[in-house]
Amino acid sequence: MSTVTVAKKDFKAARRSKLLWAAAVLLGLIAAFVGYVSGNASGTDAEQVRSLFRALTLILGILLPIVALVASYLAIAGEREGGGIKFLLSLPNTRRDVFVGKLLSRNGIVAGGVGFMYVAAVSTALTRHGAFPAGVVFGTLLVTLVYGSTFVSVALAMSSAAASRSRAIAGAFGTYFLLVILYVFPVVQVSRIARWVHTTVLGADPNPDLYNAVQYTSPYLGYRKAVNLVLPADMRQVVFISSVPDEVSYGSAEANEALPLYLQDEFSVVVLAVWLVGPLLIGYLLFRRADLE
Amino acid sequence: MPSIRTNGLTKRFGESVVAVDDLDLTIEDGEIFGFLGPNGAGKSTTINMLLDFIRPTEGSAQVFGMDAQAEAAAIRDRIGVLPEGYGFDDYLTGREYMKWAVETKDAADDPEELLDLVGIADDADRVADGYSKGMQQRLAFGMALADDPDLLILDEPSTGLDPNGIQHMRSVIRDRADSGTTVFFSSHILSEVEAVCDRVGVMNEGRLVAMDSIEGLRESANGRASIELTCAEAPSVDGVADIDGVAEVDVAGAKLTATCTDPKAKVEVVKRVDRRTEVVDILADNTSLEELFNQFTGGGRDGDGDVPAGEAVERGDSREVSA
Repeated sequence: MSTVTVAKKDFKAARRSKLLWAAAVLLGLIAAFVGYVSGNASGTDAEQVRSLFRALTLILGILLPIVALVASYLAIAGEREGGGIKFLLSLPNTRRDVFVGKLLSRNGIVAGGVGFMYVAAVSTALTRHGAFPAGVVFGTLLVTLVYGSTFVSVALAMSSAAASRSRAIAGAFGTYFLLVILYVFPVVQVSRIARWVHTTVLGADPNPDLYNAVQYTSPYLGYRKAVNLVLPADMRQVVFISSVPDEVSYGSAEANEALPLYLQDEFSVVVLAVWLVGPLLIGYLLFRRADLE
Repeated sequence: MPSIRTNGLTKRFGESVVAVDDLDLTIEDGEIFGFLGPNGAGKSTTINMLLDFIRPTEGSAQVFGMDAQAEAAAIRDRIGVLPEGYGFDDYLTGREYMKWAVETKDAADDPEELLDLVGIADDADRVADGYSKGMQQRLAFGMALADDPDLLILDEPSTGLDPNGIQHMRSVIRDRADSGTTVFFSSHILSEVEAVCDRVGVMNEGRLVAMDSIEGLRESANGRASIELTCAEAPSVDGVADIDGVAEVDVAGAKLTATCTDPKAKVEVVKRVDRRTEVVDILADNTSLEELFNQFTGGGRDGDGDVPAGEAVERGDSREVSA
């Protein structure tokens, strides 16, 4: 299997990167710190550990895209600029082998980083609370790995489209800004931009569902809503407050069902799936067509 | 079945740059073919199209009768490549790179033997990125040899090698060719091609300007030897032009220049002139393959682009003084 050989070599080289190990250790420390700090809330041990993992997903929502983009943005652009691609494609590998091999190994690297965080967080939780709510731990882990994969897909697509390192870097920065920053900071939020265009430029009546739907196109919000799927009902976060009808209380279990289908937590599966597959298809088609000088 | 065949192979970059222009090339099974040309002649572009690194604008290329683009994977199973512009930029040792090549080719080779064959067994535990250019070239050559390919495609293989390395690489190439491997070998150095190849194609500005065996080229080259005699006083032309193998005699002041179709005629020219006038200096211009190469390619990047007809191009290092 050429794909596996490509992935193995890529992973082997990555394992020797001191920078990568430093990053993994840093991630572990962050998770341990979160575990330590979150230990002072009220509630039973199991509840505290659940809220620890919810807090971890909030951090991962912003942090993991950086990890995934940094780990993957050079996957193909770096080989093209550095000349490694000449060996990869002189040997009996197809372009698909190279693309899929890189996809596997970079996903492995990102999963390794997430694994570090989870080991640290679980250790802290066990030491401080002696509780291991398996459903929440493995549920958030699964959702987090999928979230990380979406950014690996995006970064790999960028890397395939960029013929050089510098363009790949620009692509990674741009991606993070467009897909994460614009959804986090209140001042420059996508929903506000959508609202402004809709009401001021087009002169229509405000429609919160529409703005929320526009926001929901980002993997970041997809992740936050997907986390709800694996949390107990009383711990879910209401992300689209403006779309919840007035008569339904935010904290209630009905808050999600009261939303239009395309704004519900379950729809996050579609959002993440599109981000997982779409960029890969585009990236692969670009790479297949590219002249590799 | 030919190992390589191109039909009207053309590659344009953008609107104006024609890197390879309507190339028809056939490399027969088992031959060592030298692909010669100055920098930027289109050699690497041609090779990159054979390997499906880049795609032709027009025309097609076949390796072992398979389309270079559609059946790239099947082709790669049977070839060994020393590419240009490669890089060992993963943090892996020479041995690990070699093992990777052997594993990817699913070859039965012992990586240690290959490392030893190309002379880097002692440095195999070092990270390949830290190798000198010559050592990287050896490693890349060794990787190309894995799985005893039916066709070796070597792009400027001697780059960065020391003279011993070049000698050794030549003998390995000949060994492989003797056991049936076809070798396609690009170079801008004529002597290298001359030493190894059965047949030569000369590229210039994207076009194939000559295609012949080494003997054939040598014969055309031998037609153009000249000798220049500086005499104590103006020499007489009488009788010199009648010598067998002398095509033309020209006297300017104290200098007599004879152009010979047969190089052996030069000695006779010296004897004939010396009988009558004192010869002070002799400059024999052995028109070599190199000059022929220069004529084919108009001097490459350093020439004025004109292809001079028939006259020897002056080049200091190919002249020899025999007195």
